[in-house]
Formats: sequence, structure tokens, C-alpha cells
Amino acid sequence: MQTPIATTRSATGIPTGRLAIWWVVASEIVIFGGLLLSYVMHRIGHPEWAIAQAHTHTFVGAFNTFVLLTASFTAVKGHEAAEKGDGKKAAKFLYLTMGGACLFILVKSLEWTSEILEGYTIQANGFWAFYYTAAGLHALHVIAGAIVIFFVARDAAKGRNLQRVEYVGIYWHFVDIIWIFLFPLLYIAK
Amino acid sequence: MSEQDRDTHQHHPDYWKIYVALVILLAISVVGTFSGILWITFIMAFGVALVKATLVAENFMHLKWEKVIAKWVLGIALILMVLFFAGVSPDIMKDRGLQWVNNADLAATARGIPDEEEPEKGAPASAPDSTKAAAATQTAAAAPAAAPFSPETTFKTVCAACHGPEGEGNGPGAAALNPKPANFTDPAFWTDKTDSVLEKAIRQGGASVGKSSAMPAWGSILTEAQAKQMVAYLHTLKGK
Ligand code: HEC
Repeated sequence: MQTPIATTRSATGIPTGRLAIWWVVASEIVIFGGLLLSYVMHRIGHPEWAIAQAHTHTFVGAFNTFVLLTASFTAVKGHEAAEKGDGKKAAKFLYLTMGGACLFILVKSLEWTSEILEGYTIQANGFWAFYYTAAGLHALHVIAGAIVIFFVARDAAKGRNLQRVEYVGIYWHFVDIIWIFLFPLLYIAK
Repeated sequence: MSEQDRDTHQHHPDYWKIYVALVILLAISVVGTFSGILWITFIMAFGVALVKATLVAENFMHLKWEKVIAKWVLGIALILMVLFFAGVSPDIMKDRGLQWVNNADLAATARGIPDEEEPEKGAPASAPDSTKAAAATQTAAAAPAAAPFSPETTFKTVCAACHGPEGEGNGPGAAALNPKPANFTDPAFWTDKTDSVLEKAIRQGGASVGKSSAMPAWGSILTEAQAKQMVAYLHTLKGK
């Protein structure tokens, strides 16, 4: 099969695929950064949100942070394996990352279910609106990541497209970083 | 994988060490919440978040070894985003300026503060309250046609958040306010007041009579006649 020119040519010295991922991350910075900064500004303007925020579960949030950090760790181990040409090992690590993503979503669903049953819906007040929007957009990214990681891992297991292990990892670490900020914003700064 | 890719990307630090550092940092940010001291919690939470994010970006995303242009791409996106939001921040973070008062925002603040009766029932303080306040708003607005307007009920549902259920100026919202909401039971409050000024304060907000704009305007839910009745009701609180 002929390789597309864009894959081999690079003006920046960065492989094109990886450069594309950096652009994705840059646009995500604007999306999430905007959302988080809006939240911070509203939160400062509304001291009474503290009453609502007191109901978030710090330990659930902390556990999910741990899950994401671990999933990032396995993703970068996969990257290391891929660079050594060991696609099988890379795939194993990526499947672990995918498992982390699923665990994260599972915990998140249980958390949200209990909160919604208690009456804290997205319409309850400004705090909960931000809570569900920010964490929800993040959760969508986790789900998207899990799906893409699955396909990349399946390829990598057959020794194909190993460079993609790194690219999907960069995206995944970024999703991790978003949560690193969401966690103190929503669960700790009460 | 291209050749140059190999050249720039053979760096693999000890990921275990970084992972362990990240988990320890996470533990620190959670422990910070137990101190109960606000600024310690904040520094531990956000300082730690910055360190964690840097560790992940540099080592896991390999930004440390990436070509500088990638950092420019990310940095410019970050700076433009922060600039834009910093520009609008005064409008969002404040509820009043020299020339303006955001009454809707103040009213939202008042609604977000739960009633005295049911703060600890395990029931969501904020959710039913906001609906209740909204309902109170509607009944007050629809009052002339439907149920007769009761200044007392309106006061207890709408004004009590700041002025307190007995009008002593000690509602749950009062803590965050300076100057404090008026204390209608205090005879000193009444010494220099005329009814028309009070009616104006109620319908057009504190700022309209030279008082604090933390006193929202209620003209949208109280007619002139109702404001009159409200002032009459406030008189009955005097000296209680
Ligand atoms: C968000 C909190 C808040 C709510 C809700 C609120 N007030 Fe006030 N109110 C204040 C504050 C603060 C002051 C004191 C203003 C000052 O002294 O500068 C005040 C002052 C007043 C005054 C005295 C004005 C003057 O000329 O001294 C009246 C009358 C009054 N409020 C009536 C009401 C009524 C009636 C309601 C309900 C419809 C209400 N307030 C709801 C915060 C509030």
C-alpha cells in the first residue's frame, strides 16, 4: 500500500499525525478552559453555591482521579512498548487504559444516579448546571477515548500503526489533565 | 514510524516514579480538605493540581522532548482563551458596578440560600428552594387575580433569606452582605424613614434610594399597591 504523502512529509519536524493531535488538544484547551473559567467566575460571584457544592462526594471524586492517573500511566507504558516495537505489549497496556475508562464511567454513573435521585438535577441551580455540564463533557471525552483506544489497541496487537499508540495517549493524558483541574474545582474548593 | 520520530522520541523516564508522585500528590490534595482552613485547602488543591498537570504534560505527553512549535500551538490557545475570559470576568463575577446593578443575579443569590426551617433534612437545600422561590414569585405576581396577596407570606418566602423570618436582618444570606440587611424590628431603623422611600427601595432596589444595591429591586413581582401593603406589614414588625 502506498503511504499518503502527508504521513511522510513534515515541515515542523513533528510527524503529521502527532501535530494533528496537538491541534486537537489546543482546541480542547479552548473548549474546556472556557467552561472551567466560566465556572470559576460564576463561583466567585455566587458564594451561596457553597451550600449546593457541599453535597459533592470528595472521596468518589478522589477515587476517580486515581483511576484516571492509573489509566494514564498504563497508556504511557503502552507508548514505551510501542516504540520498542512490541505491539502485543502495547495493546495489553492500552486495554488496561480502556478498563480504567470504563471503571471511571461506572463510578460516575453511580455517583450521578444517587445525586439525581436526591433531587440535585441539572436544573436545581447554577452550581449543579455547571457540575453536570463540565463533568458530562469530560465524561463524553472519556467514552470517546475508550472507543478510539480500543481500535488502536486492536491494530497494535497485530503490529500495525504503532505510532498511533502515542497519539491516542496524548489525547488521553489531556483528558486526564482536565480531570486534574475539575476535581479540586468541583469537589474540594467548597 | 519515521526516522526523525525515532530521533526525537526515544526518551522514556521511569514512569513508575512519576505515577507514584502523582498518587501522593492526589492524597495531599484530599488531606488538605481536612484542615478546614480555606486557604490551605485552596493552595493544596490548586497548587497540587498545577504540579500534577505539569508532570503529566511533560512526561506522559512528552512535551518535555517535543519540538517547540507544539508548545507554541498549545500556549497560544491557552493565552487567547484566558485573555478572552479575563475580559468578561468583571461582568460575571460582580453583581454591581458604578453604573449598574444585576438584580437578576442578586435575586438568584437570594433564591440559592435555603430557608431556616429545613437546612438539615438531608433533602436538597437548593433544589426545592429555588422552585419554591420561583413559585412564590409567580403567586406574588398573579396575586391580584388569584389568591389574595399576603405581605407576610411573601416576606417569609422572598425577603427572609436576607432579612430573616422575623425581619431582624439576620437571614442566612445576611452573613455574606455588607451593609447588613435592614432590621425592621429595631426602632432605630424607623426613626428617619418615610413610607414612600421604603416603597421605592422595595420596588426599585436599595440603590434607588442611595442604599446598598445588595437590596434587590422587586418591582417585577410586587405592584405598587403590594409594596404599600408590604411596608405596612414591615411597620408591624417594629419593636417585636
Ligand atoms: C439579597 C438579600 C436581600 C433580599 C432578598 C431582600 N433584601 Fe431588603 N435589604 C437588603 C439589604 C442588604 C438592605 C440594606 C441596604 C442598606 O442599608 O444600604 C436592605 C434594606 C431593605 C429596606 C430598607 C431600605 C432603606 O431605605 O433603608 C427595605 C424596606 C427592604 N430591604 C425590604 C425588602 C423586602 C420587602 C424584601 C422582599 C421582597 C427584601 N427587602 C428582600 C437585602 C435584601
